Amino acid sequence: MEDYDFLFKIVLIGNAGVGKTCLVRRFTQGLFPPGQGATIGVDFMIKTVEIKGEKIKLQIWDTAGQERFRSITQSYYRSANALILTYDISCEESFRCLPEWLKEIEQYASHQVVTVLVGNKIDLAQNREVSQQRAQEFAEAHNMFYLETSAKESDNVEKLFLDLACRLISEARQNALVNNEASPLPGEGTTISYLNCCNLN
Amino acid sequence: MARRGTSSSFPGVCGCCGALRPRYKRLVDNIFPEDSEDGLVKSNMEKLTFYALSAPEKLDRIGAYLSERLSRDVARHRYGYVCIAMEALDQLLMACHCQSINLFVESFLKMVAKLVESEKPDLQILGTNSFVKFANIEEDTPSYHRSYDFFVSRFSEMCHNNDDDLDIRNKIRMAGIKGLQGVVRKTVNDELQANIWDPQHMDKIVPSLLYNLQYAEEAESRSPSPLQATEKEKESPAELAERCLRELLGRAAYGNIKNAIKPVLMHLDNHKLWEPQIFAIRCFKIIMYSIQPQHSHLVIQQLLGHLDANSKSAATVRAGIVEVLSEAAVIAASGSVGPTVLEVFNTLLRQLRLSIDYELTGSYDSAMNIGTKIIKEHEERMFQEAVIKTIGSFASTLPTYQRSEVMLFIMSKVPLPSLQHAIEMGKTGVNRTRLIQIMLLKSLLQVSIGFQCNNLLSALPSSFLDPLLCVSLMEDGEIRLFVLEILISLMDRHGNRHKFSTISTISDISVLKLKVDKCSRQDTLFMKKHSQQLYRHIYLSCNERTNIHPHYEAIYGMLAMISIELANEEVVVDLIRLVLAVQELALTNEDNLPVYNRCALYAISAAYLNVISQLTTVPAFCQHVHEVIEARQKQAPYLLPEDVFLEKPRLPKSVDHLEREVLFLQSKISEVLGGSGYNSDRLSTPYIPQLTDEDRLSKRKSIGDTISLQVEVESRNSPEKEEKAPAEEITFETLKKAIVDNVAVEEQERERRRQVVEKFQKAPFEEIAAHCGARATLLQSKLNQIFDITIRPPPSPSGTITAAYGQPQHHSIPVYEMKFPDLCVY
Repeated sequence: MEDYDFLFKIVLIGNAGVGKTCLVRRFTQGLFPPGQGATIGVDFMIKTVEIKGEKIKLQIWDTAGQERFRSITQSYYRSANALILTYDISCEESFRCLPEWLKEIEQYASHQVVTVLVGNKIDLAQNREVSQQRAQEFAEAHNMFYLETSAKESDNVEKLFLDLACRLISEARQNALVNNEASPLPGEGTTISYLNCCNLN
Repeated sequence: MARRGTSSSFPGVCGCCGALRPRYKRLVDNIFPEDSEDGLVKSNMEKLTFYALSAPEKLDRIGAYLSERLSRDVARHRYGYVCIAMEALDQLLMACHCQSINLFVESFLKMVAKLVESEKPDLQILGTNSFVKFANIEEDTPSYHRSYDFFVSRFSEMCHNNDDDLDIRNKIRMAGIKGLQGVVRKTVNDELQANIWDPQHMDKIVPSLLYNLQYAEEAESRSPSPLQATEKEKESPAELAERCLRELLGRAAYGNIKNAIKPVLMHLDNHKLWEPQIFAIRCFKIIMYSIQPQHSHLVIQQLLGHLDANSKSAATVRAGIVEVLSEAAVIAASGSVGPTVLEVFNTLLRQLRLSIDYELTGSYDSAMNIGTKIIKEHEERMFQEAVIKTIGSFASTLPTYQRSEVMLFIMSKVPLPSLQHAIEMGKTGVNRTRLIQIMLLKSLLQVSIGFQCNNLLSALPSSFLDPLLCVSLMEDGEIRLFVLEILISLMDRHGNRHKFSTISTISDISVLKLKVDKCSRQDTLFMKKHSQQLYRHIYLSCNERTNIHPHYEAIYGMLAMISIELANEEVVVDLIRLVLAVQELALTNEDNLPVYNRCALYAISAAYLNVISQLTTVPAFCQHVHEVIEARQKQAPYLLPEDVFLEKPRLPKSVDHLEREVLFLQSKISEVLGGSGYNSDRLSTPYIPQLTDEDRLSKRKSIGDTISLQVEVESRNSPEKEEKAPAEEITFETLKKAIVDNVAVEEQERERRRQVVEKFQKAPFEEIAAHCGARATLLQSKLNQIFDITIRPPPSPSGTITAAYGQPQHHSIPVYEMKFPDLCVY
């Protein structure tokens, strides 16, 4: 009776101006808003995708990169199923801040969270400051998936979210198996709560 | 919007033949008109409601079906039908206040969520409104499994909406705020439900509300036209946010305060809102006024904790926090400090010390990283002032007994050179000590202002007065002034202080409209116990060459305060004796005071005698004072306050040879006072300050003091010794007195004896005990000191006078004192 099979919460984080909002817009609305202003606090988008016949609802929380909103954005990490940590390949600074972001993730996000490192703005390759290899190594060292995207050219944006969704499904299935073995509570057929991290119907 | 259609998951719903479908579905379908423009079909809605009421077990199915229809309509952008479905849901919800509502609520909330997650502002607002309606229903059955996570997240997000269209932005923000309010209302009283006070919710709700509050401030400052502002105010997100915040805080129980306040502090930190503290103060005013008063001390504690956590932040930030503390303390009044009074002051004093260190070392960490953050001295100063102000506002909320406790506590933190505490040496050490002394005394002054203690005896115990009057605090002009001001403000309980702020010899003091109460018994006791200390302090203060105008004003004020607040006959005589000694000080000029200081001493003597003569209302006394003042006006105007305390006083080169008629005469005053029943005999013995322990440690040593110590310590109860004591300087005056007063001496002796006997016969036990107690402590301290001296050689006296006399003063005292073991005192 639900209009989806899975529901996942994805939170985008990263320095201000690396293109988080544009990634989300491109994915949810297919737009690239040229004069996108700075996000205030948090932004919310929803998109349902279908993978292998299963409806997956993605709740996307797009956070402000600005320091002053740090405390409110942090409060959104906790319930996230996946984090998209974004930097700008043409901005060394945004890459150098990544360890700081990882610290935040460590501190505020759940331990099972799936983290993807995204180097955005590959359309500005001529100004590249962070090499792909370096980012790849960094991602591997910190157990993250890695992808380079361009919200402007719509490169890899769909792939980013769809891959993430696939990964989340398989994780959810695993967890469900583990959970079922661990606690097969009779009578607890369907969860009625509107929002569990993953709703298996 | 590239949303995939959801209709495929509900095949055949529309195509079903009406007759075959269940009754509830038919009833639901009937409420939708052909054209969504027509709105809800009212009559059919009534039928549906009636059905739902008569068959409540069907309610959940009705809900499910309605929500199914609604999701489909949302997906198909048929917003007219969405509104109708929502209206129907609302009506059903309102109609069915019963247990069966529980299952229905699930579908209802799912629908609200569906609307709220939409991108369309209209749907968001529609959903929120329904949610608010639902929130206002009081359910009697708890629901364990309901979760509001998504709503909190989404409503918080809506509070941050940044739509280009200001109107839409405001609408969505307000919807967000209302939604949050709804969640709070719904969950706050239900222990079983999701705990709204968890940090994960509070960290979203509180900053969202604050952001809107703060945003209003920005907007206000931007829009100059008042007309526009009032228009906007009608329904501004800020107002709504404030109301919501108040409601939230008002519901916070003891255990929840912390979680609610923490995000406020974080928000203010992150948005750098401590610096112009206006917003921070506003926030905390809202907080203090909304929370339950018994919890206010928790807020204060959290602020203090935050201050500590920000020890190394910029001075402006710390100053902001302290400023907020001060405002909050006033609001919370007596409840603000809570059970840990001293902890509050301890924190503030610690911050004060830290700030002094920062100021002196120029860095936050003396060990490393010098210069990583540049410390601006004037900012630290501002911070220190803010701390002192805050100490004052905290203290003003305290009851009397706690206030004196706090004063004692602050006093105990003042670094004093003594045997116990080794004072830091070196230039920075001295500088630091001095700064700390000044800051702490300033704090004390702040605490003492407006402190109405009825009982000075208990408010100012020896443990407070002794260090305050300690000589080492007298050497520095600035510090000396603070000490005087503190004493004055403690004594002044009738607001007379300012009437004596300028030194003058007005001919009729009734114009001052002094408020005088009779000196209470405790005050009399206080004076019995401590008067000698006070007199001594005044006397020694007079003899400082670094004195400037404010010092003399303070000395004058102090004399006046004692006369008004604490005087009985005995004290009046003592004060006159003291002032005559001050005049003598100027006259004999042993310490080679500059002309200005001497004139000033003459002037305050004149001013004070003018006041006291009028207070005693002894006509002959007034007469004498008046004569002298007139004589001075003619011959030596530079001896009167009106001339001395000018911007640029015209002073003579020398004031050594003064005529007799410009001086106040002890003999004359004795005579006139004696004539009016005052016991003026004592006036004939010139006042000599009593020496205390630390005098012998400080530089201020003279042989005269050492001997007079023995006199003063013992003179009170052993009158025989009184006359054996005159080791003071033999001047013309003393010789003259010796001749003139020979007869009087005997009489005086007799009188004294009588007094002592009478005192022990009539005085209440406490009085005698207090008296002896004072002596006992004096003796004890002396004994301690002796032990100390025998263990450790005393610092060599630096005074040249002592050296010249060549008398090993410190030996004589121990021997003398050792003869008096404890028992002898009683």
